[in-house]
Formats: sequence, structure tokens, C-alpha cells
Amino acid sequence: MRARAFVIASAASAAVLLTGWQLGTAGTDPAATTASNGGTSKTTGGTDASSGSSSGTTDATDAAATGSTTQQAGSGVADGTYPGTTVGTRFGDVQVQVTISGGAITDVTPLQLTDHDGRSVSISNRAAPILRDEVLQSQSASVSFVSGATYTSDAYVQSLQAALDAAGF
Amino acid sequence: MGVDSLGADHVHMAFLLHDARGLERGSREIAAPERRRAARRLWRVDLLQAAAVATVAMAVALFLADGGAAGIGDPGGALTALGIVTGLIATDLVLVMLVLAARVPLIERSVGQDAAMGLHRRLGKPVLVLLLAHTVLLVAGYAVADGSGLIGEVVSLWNTPDIPLALLGLGLFVAVVVTSLVAVRRRFRYEVWHGIHLLVYGAVLGALPHQFSLGGLFAEGTWQRWYWLLLTIAAFAAVVVYRFGVPVYRTLRHRLVVEAVEPVGPVGDGVVSIRLRGDDLERLGATGGQFFVWRFLTRGQWWQAHPYSLSAAPRGGALRITARALGRGSAGLASIRPGTRVALEGPYGIFSEASRSRSRLVLVAAGIGVTPVRSLLESARFRPGEATVLLRTRSVDEGWLLEELRELCRARGATLITIPGARGAGWLSADAEQQGLSLKEFAPSVVDSDVYVCGPLGWSEAVVAEARAAGLRPEQIHHERFDW
Repeated sequence: MRARAFVIASAASAAVLLTGWQLGTAGTDPAATTASNGGTSKTTGGTDASSGSSSGTTDATDAAATGSTTQQAGSGVADGTYPGTTVGTRFGDVQVQVTISGGAITDVTPLQLTDHDGRSVSISNRAAPILRDEVLQSQSASVSFVSGATYTSDAYVQSLQAALDAAGF
Repeated sequence: MGVDSLGADHVHMAFLLHDARGLERGSREIAAPERRRAARRLWRVDLLQAAAVATVAMAVALFLADGGAAGIGDPGGALTALGIVTGLIATDLVLVMLVLAARVPLIERSVGQDAAMGLHRRLGKPVLVLLLAHTVLLVAGYAVADGSGLIGEVVSLWNTPDIPLALLGLGLFVAVVVTSLVAVRRRFRYEVWHGIHLLVYGAVLGALPHQFSLGGLFAEGTWQRWYWLLLTIAAFAAVVVYRFGVPVYRTLRHRLVVEAVEPVGPVGDGVVSIRLRGDDLERLGATGGQFFVWRFLTRGQWWQAHPYSLSAAPRGGALRITARALGRGSAGLASIRPGTRVALEGPYGIFSEASRSRSRLVLVAAGIGVTPVRSLLESARFRPGEATVLLRTRSVDEGWLLEELRELCRARGATLITIPGARGAGWLSADAEQQGLSLKEFAPSVVDSDVYVCGPLGWSEAVVAEARAAGLRPEQIHHERFDW
């Protein structure tokens, strides 16, 4: 390679790499990305999830609405299943449904997990049971993220929190 | 015969068959057209090289722009990031290799097929290493991130869609690169090797789906996805158009037919000139010194592709090649009958006016390497006294096409020198070496000339080394290899 070619190649490569780096660092904070995506994608918005307006979640919403909810005496929380909001991430939408029975969280079922690509599917399949166990143990949405599944964990917790809010948990 | 020995001190070492050394008049203008042409060509070369490097940077930038660098914090993330980057670079380089082998006219005119294929060859092994690293790094990275063992991760990946196909592609690529290693390649005949080499298209296509389905980088809706798709399509389009489409079109359009097959020199040499006729041959844009890849469409030979140089400048709807029965394929040349239809790919190479950089010219040939030199001398632009032809021959005035060359040199005012005798340590005969003869001795202004060298590989390299040592710049030295 001649000196001039080397200089041009170096300059062009440096410019391309710097631009890539700039674009990358502008939106790499997972929380920030998720938040912004959550605001602009198909999220149902707000915490009014039990009345469900998200497309594709009507089954769950119907289930919640059609009498699986019974008032539990002595507690402010009704038994039943409550779907959370749909939270968009760059790897796909996430929505979970929480089951409350006897004033406790008894189950968390993912309705939709990050599935844009093969790797995301395997990551969410791995992360979901871990997150579920943590939630059942802590009886709240404040759980630690699964490493290597930051986006999925973050969206999972957001959706869960919305479901819990809707249940008044 | 008019054979003069070159200088009293050098009796019987080299022979002046035609002396035009005294014909040169004054120096030409400083900014000769050859220099401007070379300057333009070198700009194209530099920009093409820079573009190739920039696509590698671009592959990495795709990953960075996706926030890829953010995951490097933990060991699993770092391995995964490195694995993705090696895969991106390797795939980009595979596409670069496809384009280098595609006979794209811009690349052909700027660096020539020989240099383009030289780079193509050098990239093969590094790309294979990158691809294997990509596989290993990602399995390790995923295993660390998932907290699973290596075996478990391999099983899980095997069950991931598109991964088995990608591994098949990797296997094909390994086969292609291994059969192209010099030591292994020599065991195959060209056609078998080439057949295996074509598997590379399967390798690239097999690897394609997992690039889009497995990582999030090329997810739907991203600009990275479009860039990668367009890059892949462009590389394949270049191959389809220039490697297959153009040759088929030219073959059908020009309807080339063998007109005559004539032996050159003693019949035992197995050297023949083949004259071909066809329609609108001037539209091919071929000039002296270039070569085509020929297929003689007879029952036994159609599948053999021969790269032969033109041995005469194309003129009046006729082409001529001169070839020696060297390889297994060339042996059947003498049996080709007039009227045989011929398929052609080309013209290729810049062993021609396209690579001129000086107004003076020194052509050096040995053996059958005389063919492109003969046609180049016919096409080249030079004034009387500005060109010298040096030929390594068997004896003083015995050599293939030597009489034609002598005629040409007389007509155009070029000096013709033959260097006969037994092989020496370098490119000269042993006798000439002992007398201390050299390139500078034969062509005193060689430092300010273009030197074109054609002959056996080792011999050519010796000439090139001497030219470099004499102070010629790389753009003044022209050498193309014809073996595969």
C-alpha cells in the first residue's frame, strides 16, 4: 500500500469509526433507551393496564375483566390476574401478567418477551424463570437484573410494576 | 543476418539483432502523457485500497453505532462483542474478496487482475482465522453470559434457527481456503480446484440468514440492516454481472471462431499460434499485452479455461494468441480444428498501455513470455529509439516469434537484444552474468523507463529485483503472473 493510500484509508476509517462511536454512545444507556422506546412504542401508557388498551393483549385484559377478580376480605388487593403494560425495547416488546391470590404474588407469566432475533429469544427464555423466582421471593418488582439480559430484565420489571399498580398491590 | 555482438567486451553473451539506440532525439516534454496517465491510475488504486479498508472500518462502526461498546464491561460481554466484531470484519472481507475476483472493470483498469487476485489470495487465510475466532468467541461469550458450560452453549446454539446453516457455510469456507493453500492446490487440476472454489457462494449464502436473525444488530428497521443487505447484494451483483454475464454476452455477441492453428518454431516445442475471427472485435477494447480466458468449445475441451495473452495487437476483426503446450489443458491445443467456436472472458490485465508511466519502454521476456511482449510492442506508444526489447533465447537468433519481433523493431525503431545460453543464477545467461552484464548495460536509460517483464515466475522475480535495485519506482515495473 502506498503512503497516500494509507493516509486516505486511515482518515476515512477514523472518521467512520468515530461517527459510529458517537452514534453508539448517544443511546447506549439501556434505561434511557427503554424509557424512550416505552414512551413511543405500543405501550398502553399510564398504569391503567387492567383496562387494557394495548393491541394483542385483549385476551389477557378480558381475563382480568371477566370475573376472575374477587374481592379478598381484609386486604385491599383483589385476587386475580393483572396484565402489565407492554414495554418496547430494541430487542422486542415485553409484557408480563401477575397473578395475585390471598394478597400475595403467586405467579408471574410472561405474555410477550424480547424476540426480535434468535439470540434475544434464548436470552429471554433464560432470564424469565430467574426473574419470576426473584419476584415471588421478594413479593415486589424490586429485583436485581439478570446479567446478560439487561434490556429484558428492565422491561420485565417495568411491565410488572404497572401490573402491580393496577392491582393496587 | 546482421547479428552484432553487444560491445567488444561482451562477445557471444548478448546480441543486438536490431539497433535503434541512436534514433532517440532530445527529451520529450516533462509532463509526458504517460506520466499523467500513471498519476490518474495511481489515484484510482489508492482510492480503491482506501475504500476497501474503509468498508472494514464501516463494519466495526455498525457495531459501535448500535451501542455495541457498552457491553464490554463484563467478561461475557467483552467476548461476545469481540466475537461479533470478528464476524463482521470477516464477512466484510469475504465480500471484498468476491469483488476482487469479480473482474469489475474499474478494478481491472486500475490494478489489473493479477494484483487484484494477489490480494484476494492473501486475504483467504486471515479471513478463515477471523471466522473461526468469531465462532469460538461467541460460544465462549454466550456461555459466560448465560452461566452455562461450553457444551451446553454449543447444544443451545445448535438448536437456534439458522445456526446449523451458518456452520455448514463455515465448513464450506474451510474447504475452499484449505484447497487454495499453495501446497494443497497443486494436487488438484485447475477445474477441480475451481469447482470446489465455487462452493464459496454457498458458504456466503449459508452464513447470511444468521447474520440477520441471530444478533439484534441487523434487526428489522435498522439502517445497519439496509447497509449490510446492500453490501451483500452489490458484491454478488458484481460477480453475476462481470464474472458471468459479461463473458456470456461477449461470447454470444462476437461469435469467435478459430480461423487457423499454426505451429511456431520447431514442432517439438509444442508452440502454436491460433488465429481467431469474430464480429465487432474492436468493441472488446483489447490492446496488446492483455489476455483473455479462452474456452475452445469442442466436446473434450469446453470445460477447460485457458488464460492466454494476445500475441498480436487486435486488428481488423482478428485476434491471435500464441501458446505452449505446458499444462495438461494446453496439450490439446494443436488438435484444435479451424471452425471451432470459442468462448472468451476478458480482456484482462494491465500489462499494457494502461499502466504506462514513462515515455521510454524496456520489454524483457523469456520463453513463451514473449507473447504479450510481442503484442505490447505493436500497441505501445513510443518514438524511435525509446524502446528496447530483451529476450532470453535458446540461441542467438532462435526464439518463438523472434522474426516477427525483429520486423516490428525495424518498423518502429526499437532495439532488439537476445541473450542466449545456459541459465545463470539470476535472469541472465551464465555467460552474460560472468561478464557483469545488467539491465542498465542493455538499456542505459532504464531508470527512466517502464519495464515490462514476462516469463517464468522465478526468472521474472529476478528481473524485477534488479529493476528495483536499479532505482525504478514500483509504478515503472510491470509484471503479471499467469499461473493459478
